[in-house]
Amino acid sequence: MSACNTCKDTEKTGVLHIKKAVKRFGGKTVVNVEDIRIGTHCIEGLIGPNGAGKSTLINLMTQKLSLTEGEIIYYRGDEAINVSSKNLNTLAKLNLVRSNQIIQDFASLTIVDSMILANTDLRHEKFYKLFNDKEVREAAQEKIDFYLDYFHFDFPEGHALSAGEKKLLDIIRCLILNPKFLLLDEPTAGLPQDQSDKVIDLLQKKTAEEDMCVLIVEHNLDLIWRVCDYIHFMADGQILIQGTPDEIKGNETVNKKYIGEESNA
Amino acid sequence: MISFLTSGFFASMLSFLAIYVALTVILHLQANVAGVVNFGIAGFWGIGMYATSIFLLRFNINFWISIVLGAIVTGLIALPLARILLNLDGQAVLVGTLAFASIVENQIFVNREITGGSRGLGTIPMPIDVGPYRFIVYGLVVVAFVVALILYAWKLKKAPFGRLLFSIRDNELLSRSLGKPTFRHKIIFFAITCGLIGLFGGLTAPLHSFLLPMMVSPTVTFTAWIALMLGGQSKISGAVIGVLATEFVFFYLLRVILPLPAEAAQMVPFFIYAAYGLMLVLVLMFKPTGIMGGKRRGN
Repeated sequence: MSACNTCKDTEKTGVLHIKKAVKRFGGKTVVNVEDIRIGTHCIEGLIGPNGAGKSTLINLMTQKLSLTEGEIIYYRGDEAINVSSKNLNTLAKLNLVRSNQIIQDFASLTIVDSMILANTDLRHEKFYKLFNDKEVREAAQEKIDFYLDYFHFDFPEGHALSAGEKKLLDIIRCLILNPKFLLLDEPTAGLPQDQSDKVIDLLQKKTAEEDMCVLIVEHNLDLIWRVCDYIHFMADGQILIQGTPDEIKGNETVNKKYIGEESNA
Repeated sequence: MISFLTSGFFASMLSFLAIYVALTVILHLQANVAGVVNFGIAGFWGIGMYATSIFLLRFNINFWISIVLGAIVTGLIALPLARILLNLDGQAVLVGTLAFASIVENQIFVNREITGGSRGLGTIPMPIDVGPYRFIVYGLVVVAFVVALILYAWKLKKAPFGRLLFSIRDNELLSRSLGKPTFRHKIIFFAITCGLIGLFGGLTAPLHSFLLPMMVSPTVTFTAWIALMLGGQSKISGAVIGVLATEFVFFYLLRVILPLPAEAAQMVPFFIYAAYGLMLVLVLMFKPTGIMGGKRRGN
């Protein structure tokens, strides 16, 4: 478990405070979370069986979906932001960033262009600004060099071709946004083992050194036990149990509802 | 040769082709760079053309100022339309803009105190009066506007804003999750480019010299779309080549310039339409991305 200094100030408050959050689609209640704080530790995990509402909860946190009831408060430094008052793009600019479970990419942007896009400040993107591309590229160069060097891409000036490359690029774009709170929805699904290890190493390094917390949604439990400092267990739309990996591993409900279910399958 | 180049016919051909190139380049920016499927080009073009003429004739405002005012009016009308349409999906945008163009045509017809209705609006004089050469001089001015537009489009596609527009076209939600206010950008860009369509509508007014509501028909829209599909959607050169391969070849070269025997004159238009359709089919069959189009990516 990583020792975490910078997340200490969030130890009591957390980064996200979810209060009586309910999401219904038609008559079906998909998420119903009473009162929890997320981001009290550097790297947290969110686990649960398929259909538990994990992705929906992440979508609610980033306003990809809006809440039916309740509220989610995002603590950014001294600011307390009600995420319902913002939308997906303004939250990203407030450093609340998410990666995608299903592979997403820009078909016409190269790997490098995609990184430049993520790094470009909004004030450079105006229809009358035609001569600032050099400036924008130079501003992104340091980060591009770092990520290309760290994760090896075969043709960085070309398009991301394989599912693994697209997934990796998705995570890199998120990291380029300098997230304060990063939500990773199944980050290692589709990644080769060596790349997935590199992602995890980088996350551990960044959370330890920078002002950044991570919430990982994963079905790869070995990774969850190894990486996470704290785990939220979700089933039937509710957060049932929270605790350290050891507490969760030994818990009867978790075994009955999730782990046991998997080993039987 | 010189007399042909300074003739009213050549000037008119040059001007109209240049206008169509402009409309197609703008359509390329809207449809292929920003991903907004605009089927209402004729409407915005018509607003520009009529607004310019109304400022010029009814308010006695200088032609060049009228053109700018016409473009601004077009952009301002496009703004609320974009607000309504642009968060709908592509097909809804297509139908919405097409319907908008019909409304414009209808309104021009109905509001006859302002637009002249079916009696028409005119006469719009050539704005640069240099004697017999005024037509070709004006044609060259139009070409200069088009060249400026092409340079803008070319530069924009390489600029950070172009990169942003491509990202919105490819995957708007992903672009938003990177912090980009995509809806706002789409609305503003649509209004600006529609304003440009209005500008070229204004430039068309003196070429027609007398405006009738039927000029604002969907033909203008379809001409630009066909030229873009045929020339290649993904490139600016495709817009230019597309207009030359359709408008120039079929409606000027084959019909007017080539010395065809007089006895065939009645037959020629039918053959031209048949050949036009055949070429469209062949290009779409064997080079679906258009004459200048590259490889297909994505999807």
